[in-house]
Amino acid sequence: MNILIKSATIIDSKSDFNNAKQDILIENGTILKIAKNIETPNNYPEITLDNLHVSPGWFDSSVSFGEPGFEERETINNGLKVAAASGFTTIALNANTNPVSDSNSHITYVKTKTANNAVTVLPIGALTVGCKGEDLAELYDMTTAGAVSFYDYKKPISNPNLMKIALQYAANFNGLIQSFPQENNLVGKGVVNEHITSTKLGLKGIPALAEELQVARDLFLLEYTGGKLHIPTISSAKSVALIKEAKKKKLDVTCSVAIHNLFFTDAVLTSFDSNFKVLPPLRTKTDIDALIEGLNDGTIDMVTTDHMPIDIEEKKVEFDHAAYGSIGLETAFGALQTIFNTQKTVDILTKGKQRFGATSTAINIGAHANLTLFNPEGKYTFSNNNIISTSKNSMFLNATLKGTVYGIIANNTLAINQ
Amino acid sequence: MSELSVNHLLGIKYLNQKDIELIFETADHFKEVINRPIKKVPSLRDITIANLFFENSTRTKLSFELAEKRLSADVINFSSGQSSVKKGETLIDTVNNILSMKVDMVVMRHPNPGAGIFLSKHVKASIVNAGDGAHEHPTQALLDSYSIREKLGDVAGKKVVIVGDILHSRVALSNIFALQLQGAEVMVCGPKTLLPKYISELGVKVETNLRKALNWCDVANMLRVQNERMDISYFPSTREYTQQFGVNKALLNSLNKEITIMHPGPINRGVEITSDVADSNQSIILNQVENGVAIRMAVIYLLASKIKQ
Repeated sequence: MNILIKSATIIDSKSDFNNAKQDILIENGTILKIAKNIETPNNYPEITLDNLHVSPGWFDSSVSFGEPGFEERETINNGLKVAAASGFTTIALNANTNPVSDSNSHITYVKTKTANNAVTVLPIGALTVGCKGEDLAELYDMTTAGAVSFYDYKKPISNPNLMKIALQYAANFNGLIQSFPQENNLVGKGVVNEHITSTKLGLKGIPALAEELQVARDLFLLEYTGGKLHIPTISSAKSVALIKEAKKKKLDVTCSVAIHNLFFTDAVLTSFDSNFKVLPPLRTKTDIDALIEGLNDGTIDMVTTDHMPIDIEEKKVEFDHAAYGSIGLETAFGALQTIFNTQKTVDILTKGKQRFGATSTAINIGAHANLTLFNPEGKYTFSNNNIISTSKNSMFLNATLKGTVYGIIANNTLAINQ
Repeated sequence: MSELSVNHLLGIKYLNQKDIELIFETADHFKEVINRPIKKVPSLRDITIANLFFENSTRTKLSFELAEKRLSADVINFSSGQSSVKKGETLIDTVNNILSMKVDMVVMRHPNPGAGIFLSKHVKASIVNAGDGAHEHPTQALLDSYSIREKLGDVAGKKVVIVGDILHSRVALSNIFALQLQGAEVMVCGPKTLLPKYISELGVKVETNLRKALNWCDVANMLRVQNERMDISYFPSTREYTQQFGVNKALLNSLNKEITIMHPGPINRGVEITSDVADSNQSIILNQVENGVAIRMAVIYLLASKIKQ
């Protein structure tokens, strides 16, 4: 693929051209030249877009589609279109399919099915057979097929001895273990954050304690075992404090936060809208403030959309019966930009790749072109018309977002939104 | 003529003070009606009401049905045990099927919080919430306040303690909202395991000592322990619960004043209150039941008059 990007503002703190408005010439997927006013050679197609900005390609550490087994939620093909249209060049794909992705052949299927796409898919394998939390899956064998991490999506490993063994075992081959931070006995029948809103609505509460106790447990285990631990989607202020302490002790731990947990408090639940039903639940302003501070001081390593398509049959029911999850890829950039400035938003969206085994390259001459194209200006109300996901379960419907994504250039492929 | 500010009765928190006054004034009229030799008025001859009970109920269902019949509405009844709900039909489909038979109003009891609100967004009918999980039971709270007003002259300025399982109780929540809206002071009392952790943020006092609570209050509303809603044991035994949170006549007589005893029913005699308390002249439990019919007539009448517009 050969292409000339005209007058794009480069947003990349690691690039020599940060904040400069330049033309970028790409030949065979490699950045050949960055300069003012490059002449088009050999009739290469030109990209000229309104207020065009370019950054290194964005990364999401927790994305779910539905194939195989839940194609009514999302297929791999359409899911990848959504990711590209939302500016993501690399995604880690969860194992929550049916059957769950818990063996070499499942990982191989994902790799094969997603090859030759603009978006790079990093498969996550299940940590335990069938995500049942009983026996370890063949972690090493999955690694050889391309699995980058191991995670029973949203299912806590309740047996501490199993988590201990997982951390010890994966350390042999530098495997990254994920542990969903939730102590299920404390959750009980809870469906939303335990606080004044849950009290007013009569909905059963999930105390933040349920998350914090599990985070504390896993950090204790990690200190004992060594190994690499990633704690996906923390949501409470105390979890941030616990992980901050662990990092001071030099434990090899990373964590993420879901963008919706930075954007919404549990106060939005008063309408009983099941699109707001997520795990971990939406919490309080105090938690949001601590999470943002954690992102700023580096305690939290990355954000995720925690993109989880759910078809309407599982959402348009009584709140207690609705499935957990919200789609999030399409709103990630616009939502973050209402909280952070553009430079910080891009920094956040490009963090965490290395932890999941992908390389991160700055926008410089000679580098592989892995780029996201966007316009950081312009507020708009997010609506159904903006959704290309198969499932429309977005908690950002009717929210005011800022900035739009044009598309990506990655893997020698151009994917620009029409 | 004044009218309600809402088209559905989904919870007390969606009402204002004027709504409550209007409901009480209307109930005064209907209470007179149901004490006449002919206990019926023709007001709602052109209205059809479906009572949908997706959860067991005896008195609330009877009370609603009687209220509807005394207003001359056509009434159909439906319980989930006899329905297609158990075959996997969704709530919206079930209700829309019934509405296709030209029903104007739905009275619904449902085990899930917010079920009435959910339904009101997806179907075309006036919805009356007859209890949704641990969320609200607005007509119960209205009849409770109405009964306090009848017994003590006014609700404003009165001190009301709600005793028992606050954590699983829609009656407690609706009562808190209703009493506060009318200017009463509210306290909740029970074992700490059955008090929501953040309940004081609703502006209620919290007490775990029953004697102190009773000495503070003018009215004690004794709730039933809702074993069916508990996922785990919140206290070791009923016997031990009664030792700490049961009201008996000796305790009542030892207080420094005469308080009014209420209970939303059904009573577990000897658990929350002993028989001599339930049957004493301090108890207004049966007045509550009678007032329930008048209150429900008022609510249905006022909502129906909005449909007719």
